[in-house]
Amino acid sequence: MHISPAKLKSLYESKEMHLKRLLSLAGVSKSAYYHLLYKDTLLPDSLHRIAQILEVRPSAFLEEINPDEKKMRKILSLTDKISASRPTLDRDNIRHTLILLNEKPIERLRRSLIRGRKLNILQ
Amino acid sequence: MAENLIFSSKEISFLRELIKQDVKFILVGLSAAALQGAPVVTQDIDLWFKNLADPGIKKALKKVGGVYVHPIGLNPPTFAGDSVKLFDIVSTMHGLDSFDNEMCNSIKVSLGQIQIHVLKLERIIKSKETVGRAKDRIVLPVLKDALETIRSLKKLKT
Repeated sequence: MHISPAKLKSLYESKEMHLKRLLSLAGVSKSAYYHLLYKDTLLPDSLHRIAQILEVRPSAFLEEINPDEKKMRKILSLTDKISASRPTLDRDNIRHTLILLNEKPIERLRRSLIRGRKLNILQ
Repeated sequence: MAENLIFSSKEISFLRELIKQDVKFILVGLSAAALQGAPVVTQDIDLWFKNLADPGIKKALKKVGGVYVHPIGLNPPTFAGDSVKLFDIVSTMHGLDSFDNEMCNSIKVSLGQIQIHVLKLERIIKSKETVGRAKDRIVLPVLKDALETIRSLKKLKT
């Protein structure tokens, strides 16, 4: 596994970006990028050795983390951190607030209205 | 489908027209809290107007096919019409400073192409504590937890 500069270029150009802008937005330095670019493989040697024994490519047992799962894992980890520092707060309230903060304001409002209009308990 | 969305282009058009007419208003109540990330539910979007007699309100209503209904009996003024049915009129906020002071302290939130003034979460809490109705007391712990969560998150990021 290595970086394909051609594939990467077509991706950032499709978003009307230059490499410099991409790296700046991603917070990746130019030297870090070129270091990765010139590596023969981005995977640790241990994974290649395991693949060799199994007579498969490393990709046969690697899985990309679903972006939604990644986002939720981050929220849950933040929930733990905040809950630990503020034990009097309700964990569900922390988690739901963090979930909503990941949405655009208009989506937060829509969610509250949809639920409010479907479930008229308080008013 | 966009037409089936709750809070869609119809409602945004009304807010845009209010801004265009230079009507001074702040979004308050639970919808304002929801915009800031509080996990609460609400039926309406409360708009606190500086001056209900501002002719810009009627002009904005006319543009979107809504009407202003004057107070009847003990009922407060309200809007009528499909494009404004989600909005509720607020003329007084308890426990807060003057409209102008609260406007200065409000935050600006983007809703699509427009930006509106929204009452800060801590001020929403203050107002609900002052009013203290049963439905306010129920929601206050959630609002307070949301505020503390937002503050803790800011601390973690700095």
